[in-house]
Amino acid sequence: MAGHDDSGASEKKSSEAINDLPTFNAENMQNNMRVIYYSRTFMSIIGGFIAGIWGFTSLMGFIFYFLIMAITSVGLTAKAGFTIHSYFDSWNRIILDGFLGGLMSFVLFWTFSYDIVHIF
Amino acid sequence: MGTGFVIGVLGVLILSHAAYSTIQYRALLKITEEEFSGPPINVVLELIFGLILCVWAALTVPGKFLSILPDSDENRCN
Repeated sequence: MAGHDDSGASEKKSSEAINDLPTFNAENMQNNMRVIYYSRTFMSIIGGFIAGIWGFTSLMGFIFYFLIMAITSVGLTAKAGFTIHSYFDSWNRIILDGFLGGLMSFVLFWTFSYDIVHIF
Repeated sequence: MGTGFVIGVLGVLILSHAAYSTIQYRALLKITEEEFSGPPINVVLELIFGLILCVWAALTVPGKFLSILPDSDENRCN
């Protein structure tokens, strides 16, 4: 199978290659989305752990979560070299994606570490 | 990948140490019957330092960004 038929490496989305806005490499796009997802999930867990240790309650904890997500967004933008158009198709991907999914992990580890440090 | 992973583990260890320090601090407050208003300043610094290490690990460990432009990475070998 070592022919020129690639194993689905670069699939074009449309046929015209003049205006390359609608065409992009879907597999790399998925890889980038996976990287963002892992980064956000890990930061949500770490943020929850820190919020519990620090003793945040109710509103302060959620404000801390938004702060952690903002730091992660800035970090991801910096990792992409501030030229996101070569890695993503819109700003929403790098800023909003995974925002609410991480919230549940954050609250889980927040209550977990708060209980360990302050109650038990 | 190896370096980022080590930094991440180090960050988690520092956070665990901060958690242990806070537990001991609370035990001390229980003895003197004071209210817990916030962790001591050295624990706060430890938390911030651990957070910085974990941010660094979270950005470097999951992998690099690959370009999605159709003509940048893969030069089509015809």
